[in-house]
Amino acid sequence: MLEFLFQALVFPGFLAAFIVGFLYEGIVRKIAAHAHHRIGPPVWQPFMDWVKLMFKENIRPKEGIGFLMTLSPIVSFASLLTVILFIPIAGSVLFSFQGSLFVVIYFLILYSAFFAVAGFATGNPFGYVGGVREITQIVSYEFPFIVSLLTLGFLTGFEIVPFLSLHFPFAFLAFVAGVLGKLCLPPFHIPEAEQEIVSGHLTEYSGPRLAMFELSKAIGFWVLISLGAVYFLGAQSMITFIVNSLVLLALIIIIRTIFARLRISQAFRIYWFVIGPLAVIDLIRVIIGFY
Amino acid sequence: MHEYVLPFGPQHPALLEPLHIKLKVDGETIVGSDIKLGYNHKGIEKSFENRPWSKGMYLSERVCGICGHFHTSCFSQGIENLLGLEVPERAEYVRVLIGELERIHSHLLALGVVAYEMGLDTLFHYIFRDRELVMDLQELLTGNRVHFVMNVIGGVRQDIKTEHSKRVEENLERIEERCRHYIRLFRSDSLVKSRTKHVGYLSKSKAKELNPVGPNVRASGIDYDVRETGYFAYKYLNFRTLTTEGGDVLERCIIRFRECMESVKLVKECLLKLPKGELKSSVPPVIRIREGLETVSRVEAPRGELIYYLKSAGEKPYRVKIRTPTYQTFHILGEILRGYEIPDVPVIVASIDPCISCADRMTVVDTNTNRERIVTKEEIREGKC
Repeated sequence: MLEFLFQALVFPGFLAAFIVGFLYEGIVRKIAAHAHHRIGPPVWQPFMDWVKLMFKENIRPKEGIGFLMTLSPIVSFASLLTVILFIPIAGSVLFSFQGSLFVVIYFLILYSAFFAVAGFATGNPFGYVGGVREITQIVSYEFPFIVSLLTLGFLTGFEIVPFLSLHFPFAFLAFVAGVLGKLCLPPFHIPEAEQEIVSGHLTEYSGPRLAMFELSKAIGFWVLISLGAVYFLGAQSMITFIVNSLVLLALIIIIRTIFARLRISQAFRIYWFVIGPLAVIDLIRVIIGFY
Repeated sequence: MHEYVLPFGPQHPALLEPLHIKLKVDGETIVGSDIKLGYNHKGIEKSFENRPWSKGMYLSERVCGICGHFHTSCFSQGIENLLGLEVPERAEYVRVLIGELERIHSHLLALGVVAYEMGLDTLFHYIFRDRELVMDLQELLTGNRVHFVMNVIGGVRQDIKTEHSKRVEENLERIEERCRHYIRLFRSDSLVKSRTKHVGYLSKSKAKELNPVGPNVRASGIDYDVRETGYFAYKYLNFRTLTTEGGDVLERCIIRFRECMESVKLVKECLLKLPKGELKSSVPPVIRIREGLETVSRVEAPRGELIYYLKSAGEKPYRVKIRTPTYQTFHILGEILRGYEIPDVPVIVASIDPCISCADRMTVVDTNTNRERIVTKEEIREGKC
């Protein structure tokens, strides 16, 4: 029982996700800043921002639906916490059964969908555009993302276990593209493009509500990078897990530094007509047993 | 999907100056736009009227933070016209030299902002780092990074020292090299091209009709540059007007890079040809100009043609009218925004390089009826509005 609680609340559960998620964000910002020839904020800056936000005023706009505005950060946060339970990080996993992959896919969609709901709930035109963009982006990236997870799922019995997918480069590509889309990272930071629509769906959010969104984004970082490190790069021990996570993080930083933001139509085309078909190639290879 | 109004500004992260564009949007496509000014009106033209001519110089420097040197050049040129004053040749060269350095820094700033609006932070920071090279030169030559206060009526305040010329040439070489690199990058990088090519298109005939100025009109294939008239030292220099066909955001960016390279050439030529002689012709301490005398003075600022209209009331101006380039360029926004998508808006707006601080005009809104109306000068004088 004590071990169960430790796993759920400390490692690989809530506390690790909380700390390392913010740390990942900080590392990405710091290294990207150095690539820009800037100094950049300290690595704990996202965490400090979060603490500050927690003590700020909670403002609800007149047109906003307060119930939905409070609910959506909590749901997206809770759905991510649920996903952590199914990922075997450094050999410790809480729930594991055949078909747990589908649960993970479901909760990951829920996490993104409530970002869109959050945009619509504010009644702000920027939030509205952000929400529409988020929905369009979900429709775009979920196809290659799910196909890439299912490709490995056929071999692992639809359960998340450490698995090295060297034979499936396209599935890995689709997974990374999906992660970029889910975490709103360049070049797919379209729903919260600050130059176009201020903060998109999060424009009207402030105080603890915004803090909860920041937290769920940070935990999203931890969850998706851990998923990649375990499921695609086959991390079994603690050391391989750390190395794999850093490799994925480096990949994200490189992509973040060299890419401009796409238009939503361009992103849709890339996901459906470039990355999607490539991911399907790997899926077909698995089904007909040619790998 | 129904049409809705998306505000762009007056407070918006994309544009740090208070410009308000009401975008009529259908889904992601822009079907109409309406520009509203008046958030940054400083009443500068009015303040000119209660200052002596010489103090007006300080004011005109502060019309704009980016192209302040051109404002004083234009204002002092007007006063020199009114006085019939000859500016020494060396002073003319120094004015051109500093002006061209300022043009480089203004263009690089605009291009950095375009890169930032595309969401390409790396390019933005790189261009701004290269802009520091020319900022350093400005500090070296004039003592200030912005607001150089180089112009005085009848000449310039400070000389260009020969010991600086090596450093100047080094930095200019580097800037030229970087500009060439960026032109290559804009022409070849597929992501940059996809965000800028065929976006914000302004055809040659439309450009003639709407009449924007500066790089915006030159990118549409019309060669119009006030420097060709040969004011200041341009008459001695080997200057040619650059134009490109195309008229989209990409071409507007490319022409700015090419103009930077042209400016580098001009600065080098200035340093080479700099004649010896006086810096300033003698001007009486209190400038008196015959009442009712008027003149129009114009220079080519980084954003295009800048016009000052001056009318004298003796020791003070009776009227100073400033026509800044951005004010003339605003008209094309409605044309080049229509039909494009929301993500293109900041890129298009940044590509015309608007300077709201220069161009802002007063808007009077009657709070009772909530209606805007035009107020005559007499009404303002008598404080009726």
